[in-house]
Amino acid sequence: MVDLARVQKELHECNRDFQVSGINVSLKGDSLTHLIGTIPGPTGTPYEGGTFNIDITLTDGYPFEPPKMKFATKVWHPNISSQSGAICLDILKDQWSPALTLKTALLSIQALLSAPEPDDPQDAVVAQQYLRDHQTFVGTARYWTETFAKTSTLAADEKVHKLVEMGFPEAQVRSTLAATGWDENMALEKLLSS
Amino acid sequence: MENLQENHQNIQIEEIPDEFQCCVCLELLYKPVVLGCGHIACFWCIFKAMNSWRESHCPICRHPYHHFPSVCRLMHSLVVKLYPLASARREKQVAEEEEVGHCSPQFDDYLSESRCKKDSVPDNASPHCGPSQKCGSAEEGEHSSGDVSLDPATSSSEPSKDAMSKDLNFAGEITGASEKQVLMRYLLCGICKQLLCRPVVLNCGHVYCENCVINPSDKLCRCPVCQLEHPNGYPNICLILAHYLEEQFPELYASREKASAYRAARQMPSAQNQDEAAGCKSLPRFDLSAWLTGGGPQVHIGVGCDHCGMCPIVGERYKCKDCKEKIGFDLCEGCYKSSSKLPGRFNQQHTPEHQFESVQPFQVRNVVLRLQPDQLEVDGSIGLVEFVEDSSGEPQHLDEDSLETNSPLDDLRDGQVGNISSSGTGDDQGGRESALGNISSSGTGDDQRGRESADSI
Repeated sequence: MVDLARVQKELHECNRDFQVSGINVSLKGDSLTHLIGTIPGPTGTPYEGGTFNIDITLTDGYPFEPPKMKFATKVWHPNISSQSGAICLDILKDQWSPALTLKTALLSIQALLSAPEPDDPQDAVVAQQYLRDHQTFVGTARYWTETFAKTSTLAADEKVHKLVEMGFPEAQVRSTLAATGWDENMALEKLLSS
Repeated sequence: MENLQENHQNIQIEEIPDEFQCCVCLELLYKPVVLGCGHIACFWCIFKAMNSWRESHCPICRHPYHHFPSVCRLMHSLVVKLYPLASARREKQVAEEEEVGHCSPQFDDYLSESRCKKDSVPDNASPHCGPSQKCGSAEEGEHSSGDVSLDPATSSSEPSKDAMSKDLNFAGEITGASEKQVLMRYLLCGICKQLLCRPVVLNCGHVYCENCVINPSDKLCRCPVCQLEHPNGYPNICLILAHYLEEQFPELYASREKASAYRAARQMPSAQNQDEAAGCKSLPRFDLSAWLTGGGPQVHIGVGCDHCGMCPIVGERYKCKDCKEKIGFDLCEGCYKSSSKLPGRFNQQHTPEHQFESVQPFQVRNVVLRLQPDQLEVDGSIGLVEFVEDSSGEPQHLDEDSLETNSPLDDLRDGQVGNISSSGTGDDQGGRESALGNISSSGTGDDQRGRESADSI
């Protein structure tokens, strides 16, 4: 039994300080057990400027078991599988504590982006590159960020502008767009229903 | 967004400040328990967060603990008093969950709300506070523990009556005295009878000033009311309660703190002492891997002691033969020998006339060692399941737990077996040990990793 009341509270809490953290969690479908988290790439890293989607599945034991999280956006990082998006992070495994939340877990993932642990890799190829040829690693990571984690800013601004003109506040428009993976129609639907 | 907000408002009747929010369910604390590290969570939240295989860790600071604390009635009545509406809602909600039964066994009668209302004045506010402590200094006029002679038997039989009469007084006071004075009656130390100062909550749920209950000359900390020993060194100050006191009674609290600092300077040679004591463990050495390899004391996975709260029970386990409740009633060796009269923690209708029997732990060890690696790989899980069914009658706690998060059997089926098969090739003692080492190292409720390794087979 997932503690749905808690999940709802977490969603509320997380969306409330979206402006500060830049972290968003939203429903994937109708169920509260499948969620999408988005984190901005940390500044000063090759992931800067990207928006990374993370697929979240809550198991029955949540919050006593960790949420299952993996990157839905392709990312080049020693602790994240470049193939499957699987994340190697202790708090998502044995170091999970029920006092952690989706938001704190996403924050930890964001921190992982800025501080890779190549000695405990998830993706050996990336880790090797990180250790042996750091320059190339940075280049690849940046290239992947550009290619997979960026909605072109021009198109994005256009979408925001369009929705703002319909009379929605810009902050809300941005968060909703981010939550829906920059799908304009879905965002509009969401804005209207909220 | 607004939908969510509306929901939220429905959920929340009163604005609950963060400090009275349970860190696990993010709701108002309900029947709070305070861990030795001073962190608070709901009774059921901690119960569900505990590890049935080995010692548990505080959800907030990961401080290890091995004993499920009793509900802190002082905190409970404080929360109920401060947030009556939200508490009532939480009570209803929890009662519903308990009725469905998937998340919790029956609830404790002496904890249940009806009874709690009766004795809303916490136990430790009663005058029967046990042998006088050296901390009560002579200057304190109200100090009365010196002339209270105590017989544990009378003290254990009287509190409810006593609390009831107090409750009557209390009802009268609501109209008369100011709100704050009423509030303060909740917040007295059972030993010095003054406002709590640097409050610590013992494993039995009773609250005292740090200086009153911690005696630096002896490394154990025993509750003067229920005589239960606080396990695992000294408790830490419950900061949430301390901050609340500081906020509500700034002047009084400051003066109390000053006095206690003075006393502490006289009595406690250094803070170092306390650090040392915090490191000393009063619980039996707990080592699951030692037991599995046949060395250390036996571990009763998933079974907790209803008296001291030790979970899992290490050493001898005594099970009540007469308690019909699904969760059963068990005592550890120490508590069995002390012949406690306390009720069970989960509303068991246990009486002192009930008979106990000594029960052997669920013999995971034997199964694991008997099965060959290839057997484990192919049908190890089936073998284990059959074994569990064969030995029915005993592991009802395990049945209970298998519905819960950290099911030991799930772990075993999914994870441990996989681990063993991957490394259990050697047939010498060393090989076994390494295989069993894996069990213990991954028996941390780490379902995630367990499943992965099982998948990989």
